[in-house]
Amino acid sequence: MKLDRDGRRRIFNWVVSGLCFLCVVVALVPLGSLLYTAFLNGSHILSISFLISPENPVGICVPGNCSAGGIGPAIYATIVVVGIAALISIPVGVLSGIYLSEYGRGRLGRVISFFTDVMTGTPSIVVGLFAFAVFVYIDRAHAFSALDGSVALAIIMVPTVTRTTEEGLRLVPNSLREGAYALGIPRYRAVLQIVLSTGRSIIITGAVLAVMRASGEVAPLLVTTLFSPQGFTGLGSPAGLLGPVIFFYATGASPLLVRAAWGASLLLILAMLGISLAARIALRNRFK
Amino acid sequence: MMPTAVERKALSEALGHLNENMRTMSELAVLAIRKAAQSLDKGHRRDSEEVFTLDQEIYGLKQKVEQSCIELIALYAPVASDLRTITASLEITTDLDRIGRYSRDIAEAAEKLRGMSRESLGKIGNLTRMADMTIQMIETSVNAFTQRQADPVRDIVRTDDAIDALHDEVFQELVEKMTDQSVSPRVGAQYILINRYFERLADHAVNIGLDVIYMITAQRPAKVKRQNGDARPPPTPAPPPPAPSSA
Amino acid sequence: MQAAVPLGHNDENHDGAPFKMVVENLSAFYGTKKAVSGVSLGFRERTVTAIIGPSGCGKSTLIRCLNRMHEVVPGGHIDGQVLLDGADIYTQDPVSVRRRIGMVFQKPNPFPTMSVYDNVAAGLRLNGVRKRSLLDAAVTKGLKQAALWDEVKDNPYGPGIRLSGGQQQRLCIARALAIEPEVILMDEPCSALDPIATAKIEDLIFDLQKTYTVVIVTHNMQQAARVAEYTAFMYLGELIEYDRTKKIFEQPAQKLTENYITGRFG
Repeated sequence: MKLDRDGRRRIFNWVVSGLCFLCVVVALVPLGSLLYTAFLNGSHILSISFLISPENPVGICVPGNCSAGGIGPAIYATIVVVGIAALISIPVGVLSGIYLSEYGRGRLGRVISFFTDVMTGTPSIVVGLFAFAVFVYIDRAHAFSALDGSVALAIIMVPTVTRTTEEGLRLVPNSLREGAYALGIPRYRAVLQIVLSTGRSIIITGAVLAVMRASGEVAPLLVTTLFSPQGFTGLGSPAGLLGPVIFFYATGASPLLVRAAWGASLLLILAMLGISLAARIALRNRFK
Repeated sequence: MMPTAVERKALSEALGHLNENMRTMSELAVLAIRKAAQSLDKGHRRDSEEVFTLDQEIYGLKQKVEQSCIELIALYAPVASDLRTITASLEITTDLDRIGRYSRDIAEAAEKLRGMSRESLGKIGNLTRMADMTIQMIETSVNAFTQRQADPVRDIVRTDDAIDALHDEVFQELVEKMTDQSVSPRVGAQYILINRYFERLADHAVNIGLDVIYMITAQRPAKVKRQNGDARPPPTPAPPPPAPSSA
Repeated sequence: MQAAVPLGHNDENHDGAPFKMVVENLSAFYGTKKAVSGVSLGFRERTVTAIIGPSGCGKSTLIRCLNRMHEVVPGGHIDGQVLLDGADIYTQDPVSVRRRIGMVFQKPNPFPTMSVYDNVAAGLRLNGVRKRSLLDAAVTKGLKQAALWDEVKDNPYGPGIRLSGGQQQRLCIARALAIEPEVILMDEPCSALDPIATAKIEDLIFDLQKTYTVVIVTHNMQQAARVAEYTAFMYLGELIEYDRTKKIFEQPAQKLTENYITGRFG
């Protein structure tokens, strides 16, 4: 077989392509295995009543009936707490991102940018402890509370939102800003109405990413919201979100609890996938 | 686009060819008029025949030059000095061709005179002077063109006036001499034609001079021809502003 | 290289229109680096003036000084004056200056998330105009003046970035015209376009000069000849020559100008 230069190149091409493909497969295997296992173990417990049932969380045996209940309360608590965290963190993060991208080219901007990066890398448990400590200092009685958890999650979310907002805005070509200035549009208007709307898809993606991450947190919630079998019991009281619920049920004694944990995990995974897909579809239409 | 380096190089080369052709044509034209005057003076058939050949060559070159000027304009959209060189060349090539043509006419007249009495020519002394002045004018203009100098031709209109005056004198003299029979009508008629030819040659030399001034300074001084009975020469054109200074 | 004495607003032999904008001894800097050096010239009302010169000669910087866009760049500042109707624009509010002096850029930059209509209306909307009828009238007028109306009138709400390059540039022109400026600056508006689109825009410029004062930066001498009555030649930040285009075309006064337009530059 004559292996001329062209032939060798082609073979080399195939080999490298094959290796890349193999790497992708290897990377996807854990995800696939995860989905498979979760599906296997949790699918049969997922039912409407499991999801919605507002009372009798799994594990409490009503005389004669040990399988009643669901994770409805946990879902509700997660939505409320993460929602509040988002309401705090997204505006703060977006405005910080705008500042860093549009106005903060000087020293102050660089300092803020540096600390944003630091915060991105901070372990979430540390953030949780910090939030707890602050609450102990301000309002001891309500140190373990849903609000505390929201604050902790917000602190975790802000750097992500800031970073993606800043990157997204930097991607907006300068020619657009110049075009706006040349029309005699004041700077703040140009930023808010033209630059922001051009970069909005990236900013929205960043916000969604932050929310998703927060929804799956466990460690910071354990030291702020603590836990409650009733899910959300008020802003000033402990709450049981999905993350901690999975933690406790997975290590619980009853196989019912374990199965519930699998169900909750599968739910969480499917919710993440769903939100990602929805965001992608919604934003794709925007581009076109 | 401003001309790229490639375009500039091509244009410069083409301009070089053009200038070569113009130079050749100029030399041939001067040679033609000299030979024609010589033929008139000495009466050798050989000289006349050379003039006929030269005229053909000049005509051929004229067509070549016209063609390349048009091509240059179409292809390169020349500006400034390039543009002036090309348009001036187009005009001058016509004048040089006419010089060749009139030289031939003079040589033909010389041939006709060969068979006739020659000594009468000596009596028309001014005609010789006209010939000399005209040839000198042509040479000055042509040299100014090949050397790209505006100064030598600055006063060319005035010189032409002198020739025009001389032309009138010679004409008068010929008429008198034909009336009093010292020159035969046949000979006189030829001389009248030859007189006219030299006057026209001088006009073409003026044209060349004025085109040279335009080429170098972009000024077009008025070519004021002397009106009938107006003895005053037209005002010399004001000296053009200094040529483009070097960086 | 000798100092140039450009014919400009100091030259009384030119009996053209009065001066709409006058630049007095303008120098422009990027930090400490000088890009434009002591330029003085005038732009006549309702005429087109072209600025030509090799890359890096400062012509883009100069034109950006005319509507205070130069200072948007970090470190950008100037020395000297730019007078609009006799008043120095550097003593006025830059935003209102830019409403009177519009600009079209080299690469078309329509706002990508907006429709054609919204793009043209952007200047007005973002300056507080809300009334639909006013916006409609301005958009129609702008599109017509920019010779784009016929091509978009059936679908003015389509996305602006779906248009061809030439159409996008005309959209940007319409956008600039909609706020009814007095002066229009164009920084090599045709260099990113094909010859046919270029021809359309040159036609447009020819029409625009009936209403507006136009200053156009171009590196195309033929384009300057086609559209501009006056031409300024710049080199290394200085103004070398400024005169009627025809004169520069046939007999430039400066050797440097001659060398540039005949292509004898390196």
